[in-house]
Amino acid sequence: MRGAWRRYMSVADYLGLGLVLAGLIAFFGMTTDHFFTVTTLRTIANQIPDAIIIAVGMTFVLIIAGIDLSVGSVLAFSGAVLGVALVRWGWPLGAAAALCVGAGSVCGAMNGLFVIRWRLPAFIVTLGMLEAARGGAYLVTGSQTQYLGGSIERVTNWGVGGLSLPFMTAIAVVIAGQVLLSGTAFGRHMFAIGANEETARLSGINITRIKLSVFVLSGALAALAAIIHCARLTAADPNAGIGYELQAIAAVVIGGTSLMGGRGSVINTFFGVVIIAVLENGLVQVGAQEPIKRLVTGAVIVAAVIADYYRRRLEARSA
Amino acid sequence: MAWRVAWVALCAALWAGLLITGCGGRPPADEKPRIALIMKSLANEFFLTMEQGARQHQAEHADRYALIAEGIKDELDVNRQVQLVEQMIARKVDAIVIAPADSKALAPVCGRAIAAGVIVVNIDNKFDDAVLADRGLRIPFVGPDNRKGARMVGEYLAKHLQPGDAVAIVEGVPGAFNAIQRRLGFEDAMKAAGMNIVAAQSGDWEMAKANRVVSAMITERPDLKAILCANDSMALGAVAALRAAGKLGEIKVVGFDNISAIQELLKKGEVLATADQHADRLAVFGIEYALQMLERRTDPEDRETPVDLITAEQAG
Repeated sequence: MRGAWRRYMSVADYLGLGLVLAGLIAFFGMTTDHFFTVTTLRTIANQIPDAIIIAVGMTFVLIIAGIDLSVGSVLAFSGAVLGVALVRWGWPLGAAAALCVGAGSVCGAMNGLFVIRWRLPAFIVTLGMLEAARGGAYLVTGSQTQYLGGSIERVTNWGVGGLSLPFMTAIAVVIAGQVLLSGTAFGRHMFAIGANEETARLSGINITRIKLSVFVLSGALAALAAIIHCARLTAADPNAGIGYELQAIAAVVIGGTSLMGGRGSVINTFFGVVIIAVLENGLVQVGAQEPIKRLVTGAVIVAAVIADYYRRRLEARSA
Repeated sequence: MAWRVAWVALCAALWAGLLITGCGGRPPADEKPRIALIMKSLANEFFLTMEQGARQHQAEHADRYALIAEGIKDELDVNRQVQLVEQMIARKVDAIVIAPADSKALAPVCGRAIAAGVIVVNIDNKFDDAVLADRGLRIPFVGPDNRKGARMVGEYLAKHLQPGDAVAIVEGVPGAFNAIQRRLGFEDAMKAAGMNIVAAQSGDWEMAKANRVVSAMITERPDLKAILCANDSMALGAVAALRAAGKLGEIKVVGFDNISAIQELLKKGEVLATADQHADRLAVFGIEYALQMLERRTDPEDRETPVDLITAEQAG
């Protein structure tokens, strides 16, 4: 019985966002010459892996009622570490990538440590990390964009059936994330902490371990996104990822994850990212100028969240 | 914290050095004119190069002037830059050489500096003529003609295209003076050569944004032959988009600024051309002009500095 209800609920979940997405695709398909093509699909699939991976980490953080404003800067910092390891030190790609993920994890661990040890609001701690990691990125690169070339291009060249390695990685992260969330004790504990931390503590959940893991995961995923980001651009840019935190939060919230914690889904986050990407691509193809693009993007973000509100009310009534 | 300590120590050491060299018969340090260099974001390679050029120039001409160099956190932090100018007025510097973060918003505070007897020289981003006229200010602009530079890049590109070819422009931040000038320069060259500008989008000066914009552009316009980017970071993003779409070589890319990361691409021919406005000399030109004004009390006149076309042959 419970299984069937859950299945119904998730189908309805995806339906709402799927409709928004279908609407956007239909609109751009009609107003442009080349939106409704495989090329557009491939372009978007090539553009979004880093955004997806960051948004998965953000989903976890929001579910435990936290927030991680540092992801864009952590992406730049770990990307800078990757670039310097590859270019200046001549490390092989595997070792440099491991160092990159290590750097991101350390940033995440520091976020988690400060939040837990001194009971500080995640907003402030990660805002501090947003500044500090950006500074780190400038220091590591000497404020210069590092051209990578060579070995890192392989990352984007690999692929099966027209889908690139970064895209498949992102899909794997989404699936693993959803399984972690809805299929493990760890996931249930995340929801419990987000719903009510004190109750969760009293029921014997190890809050420290779970919170720390979530922040480390967010940092590590930002670093994984950095590898993909650098591979796509074949360059490590210390100014990379500015504003990514807000874009990730927007995608996660469009996907119906609560900013107050305790509720969320990784697959819906994926749809949130796709909606934003379709919107951005479509608006360029229509030829819309910057002011219009921003107006429309803002309106769609709010509209998607309103649509989600009505969907949930409908669900509550039928349940 | 450790960085700040190191920084303070370094500054103290530099001051000590200045005082010691100042004792050798030359005029003491505090009688040299003090010039404040106020820049935009020091996180940006371009302004960093500018600052380093200025510091080197000062080190070579330490007997002529003392330099105070300040930057802001990011290019849009107008408020902080206004504060910096106010601080410099309070510190009674002799001249301010400024790259304004906003060509309108910084004019009033620079007017106050002039009223306080400080010489103001404008570099990089030109003050808005209408605002200057309105406030009765005369601030000399010492810098390159971005429109001319962009036109030069565009004309070189046009030689590699056929009249009637479809081209697209990736602009800088909408409304920024340099962004407008470069777009106009590109348009001048493309129209003169009979090219068809089919799209113009903003890449916000940024690599990843340009990458996304260009990916969408080439999908919508498969007939595109060239992409003109208003800076090199965006050209890097454009090249990455072409590589992903398998259109490298089919569509030509040009940039602006001649940053270090673009050199490899110029040599490989993935970027056809860029423009060098000599970032390392830009602040120096401004400082030298300020010194000249201090020494001779000449009238403020604009002065144009060189912009050079860079192609595979000149790439370093």
